[in-house]
Amino acid sequence: MAHILAVGGGKGGSGKSFVCANLGVLLAKQGKSVLLIDLDLGTPNLHTMVGVDNPKIGLNNFINKSTNDLSRTAVPTKIPNLYLISSTRCSLEVSNLYYVQKQKIIRAVLQMPSDYVILDLGAGTTYNTLDFFLSAHQGITVFTPEPTSIQNTVQFIKAVYLRKLKHILKQDGFTRIMKKIGYETEDGAVRSPLDIVENIMQMEPERAQMLQRELRKRDFRLVLNQYRKQVDEALGKKIEKVCNRHFYSHFTFLGNITYNERIFESIVAKSVFAEKYPYTPTCTDLKNITSTLTESAPYPSSEQEQHVQI
Amino acid sequence: MSKFEELTYYELLEIPPNASTFEIRQAYKEALSIYSSDSPISYSFFIEEERERILESIENAFATLIDAQKREQYDKRLVAEKKIDPSRVEKGKQKKPTPIFSTKSQAENTISDTIKKRIKKTELTQITEELLSKDLISGDDLKRLRKAVGIEVEEVFEVTRITVPILEAIERDDVPALPSSVYLKNFLRAYAELFHIDAEKVINSYLKNLDRIQGPS
Ligand SMILES: Nc1ncnc2c1ncn2[C@@H]1O[C@H](COP(=O)(O)OP(=O)(O)O)[C@@H](O)[C@H]1O
Ligand SMILES: [Mg+2]
Repeated sequence: MAHILAVGGGKGGSGKSFVCANLGVLLAKQGKSVLLIDLDLGTPNLHTMVGVDNPKIGLNNFINKSTNDLSRTAVPTKIPNLYLISSTRCSLEVSNLYYVQKQKIIRAVLQMPSDYVILDLGAGTTYNTLDFFLSAHQGITVFTPEPTSIQNTVQFIKAVYLRKLKHILKQDGFTRIMKKIGYETEDGAVRSPLDIVENIMQMEPERAQMLQRELRKRDFRLVLNQYRKQVDEALGKKIEKVCNRHFYSHFTFLGNITYNERIFESIVAKSVFAEKYPYTPTCTDLKNITSTLTESAPYPSSEQEQHVQI
Repeated sequence: MSKFEELTYYELLEIPPNASTFEIRQAYKEALSIYSSDSPISYSFFIEEERERILESIENAFATLIDAQKREQYDKRLVAEKKIDPSRVEKGKQKKPTPIFSTKSQAENTISDTIKKRIKKTELTQITEELLSKDLISGDDLKRLRKAVGIEVEEVFEVTRITVPILEAIERDDVPALPSSVYLKNFLRAYAELFHIDAEKVINSYLKNLDRIQGPS
């Protein structure tokens, strides 16, 4: 079975697609077969990042049932071992996928015959994005040093966490418990996910233990992109620390990716950055992140089976 | 958040019970950089009242641990509550485990931090890209990189603990004075990482250049 990585979170423009493309290239160069899937439905641009001009087939062929085999909607890229399923040809309405369609895509992704599948997700916290993110073995969030980006990332992590809570508690239990603990505090502020777990802990200790166990299986990876010298080098590590302290899941900071103006050039030239500029500090960062990602064994997760049950 | 308030002051600041005053100050500064109101991290994470509660705990922890008398009383309480092992509190006697590869003292640590900072602050993009695009990398290339930052071999030693004679041998491509290849690779890696450049590339191209110097054997 393929190892699934999802890249999401943060704001639009933080570099999710850039990270997907370059992670893909570097893994492919190690001889692994890699499939990139553009799941930024509605505003796809991963094909541009990997220099595929106008993919003739893509996710739309799977969604409209012209094929039942997702792997047949992939197109090769200029890089050996690297394939792409684009969603450029999906109609705009497809950004609101039906539940059944989403489940079908997730199931099919798990069956893909590659070593790695990398899911490029859109910004924001729609259920589709969160569920795709949760379907992966490892979820990578990409953010930049700006306070707004950090803020969006934290919101994203909280939303994933809450969504996961919901999955575990299933719909009914979730609404009931939320009502019971008062999801909103007296002054209307929404409780933080951790607060919710603590509250459940007080009311239903058994359930809370199960919750904690399940939440611990979640494996978040953090990447700080567009890093510049003025920025606190330890920023990523600090965020990792706060996340590990205040959520029950497992967070690992993978590293900084240095800001580089040539990324713009490489996109314009329709080539992938890591291929065109392998000896830049930015590429060294990308290589380090790739090896940290592959060396660390993924946290044990039975996410897949669970997901299909839901 | 109740769990956070159950932590001991040591756990809160993430320091051992025998931490020195210096370590306490460092840990406090670090905690503030995360939890204070102008930190983008805490601002995103917590609602106002949560953050204030955490900050208050941190302030209490610092005020207590930095004051010898208060700290002693607090330690006694922790021991009584069986939250820490009495042998762990005895400052000075109980040394922290020493890392295997380093015998650095606190002062040396700050020297090495200063050097690392200096490297970080120097604009090296052009020179590193030039260096890394070469097929063969010589000791002189590495030396030029070091000179661009303006640091001495002794300072490289401070951070990497590669001895000065070996550093000089590396920079002179002095084959007879170089260590065996396993060690050499490790040293080159440490050197490259100090300057934030691709270590694998440096090792390969440096060794390739040595082969060229030595000629067909
Ligand atoms: N490390 C970087 N340095 C400089 N520019 C970057 C970097 N990462 C991304 N960019 C720029 O930011 C733009 C947005 O990146 P993209 O990957 O499309 O973001 P997202 O997928 O998160 O919306 C890209 O077009 C690229 O030019
Ligand atoms: Mg994108």
